[in-house]
Amino acid sequence: MPRNVSIEIFRYDPQKDDSPSWRTYTIPYEEKNTVLGALIYIQENIDPSFAFRYGCRYKRCGLCALEVDGKPRMACHTYLQEGMRIGPLSKLPVIRDLAVDRKSIFHDLKKYSLYIEKKEENVEIIVEPEQGARLRSCAECLSCLSTCSRYNFGNGNFGGPFLFVKLAQLQFDPRNSKNRFEQAHALGIMHCRDCKNKCFCPNGINIYGDAICSLLENNVD
Amino acid sequence: MQVEKCDILCLGGGGAGITAAITAAEQGADVILVSKEPLGYGDTRISMGLMSCPGVVEGDDWQHFYKDLIKGGENLNDPELVHIMAEWAPYGLKLLESYGHLFERNKDGKFSKEVVFLLGGHSLPRTIGCPPGGGISMGNSLRAGAARAGIRVFEEVIACNLLFDDKRVTGAVCFDLCRGEVILFQSGAVVIATGGAGWLYYPHTDCNAGVTGDGYALAYEAGAELIDMEQVQFMPFALTYPASMCGVYVGEPSLAAPAGILRNSKGKIILEGLGTMTRAQVTNAMAVELSNGGGTEYGGLLLDLSPNLSSPEGRRMWKVRKERGQLESVRFAYGEDAYRWEKPWDVAPAAHYFMGGIKVNTSGQSSVPGLYAAGQVLGGIHGANRLGSVSLAELFVFGYLAGEAAARECKGQEFSFSKGNEEAVANITGLRGRKGSFKPIKLHRRLQKTMWENVGIVREERGLRAALREIEEIEEASKDLQITPQLSYNKDKLHTIELKHMLTVARLITESALIRQETRGAHLRLDFREKDEENWRRNIIILKNKNKMQFRTEVVKTDA
Repeated sequence: MPRNVSIEIFRYDPQKDDSPSWRTYTIPYEEKNTVLGALIYIQENIDPSFAFRYGCRYKRCGLCALEVDGKPRMACHTYLQEGMRIGPLSKLPVIRDLAVDRKSIFHDLKKYSLYIEKKEENVEIIVEPEQGARLRSCAECLSCLSTCSRYNFGNGNFGGPFLFVKLAQLQFDPRNSKNRFEQAHALGIMHCRDCKNKCFCPNGINIYGDAICSLLENNVD
Repeated sequence: MQVEKCDILCLGGGGAGITAAITAAEQGADVILVSKEPLGYGDTRISMGLMSCPGVVEGDDWQHFYKDLIKGGENLNDPELVHIMAEWAPYGLKLLESYGHLFERNKDGKFSKEVVFLLGGHSLPRTIGCPPGGGISMGNSLRAGAARAGIRVFEEVIACNLLFDDKRVTGAVCFDLCRGEVILFQSGAVVIATGGAGWLYYPHTDCNAGVTGDGYALAYEAGAELIDMEQVQFMPFALTYPASMCGVYVGEPSLAAPAGILRNSKGKIILEGLGTMTRAQVTNAMAVELSNGGGTEYGGLLLDLSPNLSSPEGRRMWKVRKERGQLESVRFAYGEDAYRWEKPWDVAPAAHYFMGGIKVNTSGQSSVPGLYAAGQVLGGIHGANRLGSVSLAELFVFGYLAGEAAARECKGQEFSFSKGNEEAVANITGLRGRKGSFKPIKLHRRLQKTMWENVGIVREERGLRAALREIEEIEEASKDLQITPQLSYNKDKLHTIELKHMLTVARLITESALIRQETRGAHLRLDFREKDEENWRRNIIILKNKNKMQFRTEVVKTDA
């Protein structure tokens, strides 16, 4: 008899449903299948109304970030296992099912001037610190927010790990002209100082060490 | 219905679209950018982040780059576009850095011979890399650049069709995926920068899921000329299993340097010395072997990189790949031995890039007034094969030129906006909840299957005709769709809009492939195995005329 795998998936249509529900789906077993493989199979063969995002299938685009058993993962690089509970990134508003609202991050780029303020086309010589180069692989997938106990969507008093990574990226950039320490301070980074719950990045960025600590070192009082 | 007005509407949220939008805004134009994915989450972001920059090593200059591009493109390139590409490439690099990106430099912070490397088809090392993560930083920098320029951005909105009056293109009818509503954009000009159409070959593609060729179809329907649509580049080395990762990029020919070998399923050597070959050369050799039955159970050939481990240079290359994170997909799919290059990789070609596309002049203007194109969606620069690391430079160069020219044409002008095409709007709003027989995603799969099997790495008349019949049947089926009723983030609706574009593009590629009765670059005809310089140093031009697909060929331009 062919083997199957059963998983539970979060389903929610805020326009219609009073509350979210978890539904069980059973799909054929396949060696080394991924969570993304299962999601695609379900939308294609079981329930066409199922909503989720994906793009590149190899951990670069960040669009398939979701939670597996409460932990953030990239669906494309997570092996599928029996009994998994697959939900959306839990700190973000749900548009439908696993698709969360990602538009707020572009809004934040503008709100906090998360760019080099002065456009400079002729940068011939520039040395970027290694930490800065490492932080450049942040895929802006927003997984880190799921691992932060203090972050709440829409609460402007605490920026959360994603904004701290963006601020640290800029602080390490020799072309930066804005005081990013001050911004991090205003966004409550001092709360991270005694945090025992170290935030996690599925792309392997050391958020606490490379981003948060470097912004804390120059704490502005 | 929501109506938005602007001077310039840019369609596409990757390198070319964002650069065009920023450039036009800097020239004082009122710009709107529409992106099908969240802004900056397209193919630019998922690239390896390699960019051509001639002139870093001694003896290199734009003229050498120019010659390499023409030779690599097997003489099908538009020399005027190549000239711009070669001369402006270093500016493209500077432009991207001005948005926030930084390329790899030596310890003194300079571009020098230590940081450039050689890719297949380039006569000299001129490719500059990125920190680990490759194109991710490019995507993020583009987002930052757009935020800085204060451009109005509409994310996760797909263009359904262009608006035009009898004189020019005047905007687009779009669909907002998250809200489930139609938005009408009225503009003085439209810049199409929607990227390629690799997704027509899913799962045999290393492109993003959104890369469904929307821009080619939009331009074609608006009456613009397209050039050499049969020229589809397949990246030679992509994963073949597990199924959910089939098509994922693992390397271009230079990956194999210096000593990697390609074997068939019986262990026979198919290619050696492939590190300096072009993508077309390697893919074509693989295609012939696969069509002769030399493939593995997964439909691939075996890339054996272990010979590299016996030389210091080879071991260094493994370390470079590892540090750049380029071996992670192989590790995930094939395990630790494959990751360490001790076990051969099962690889097959995957659709990567379209050399053909919208025919433009050196300002990115198409044959239709008010319509511009930039990035992969334009055609003619790369002829029949693109060299590695050139397309990322292309995005910024041609994004800049199109944005600049469109702004010059439209800024401060009064345009008579045509009213929303009511029929087009009704076509979109009427989709939801249809109770027909066919699921849109299933029709995607049917189309993708025939494209891979019949219009893929090898082609011949019989298969191409079979593909045309299948395209026609799918077109018929697409009139009888079953669509779920949800308003927000309805994938069925997205797939339906994409399907219409994909069917148009599939036909453009297939008809063009039938016409070109020779083998050149990425286009391999089993029934016409030779390159035919006498008859076929010609471009194939397609346009829509009186609701029919019309073709002509033109002798390739010579450089002035």
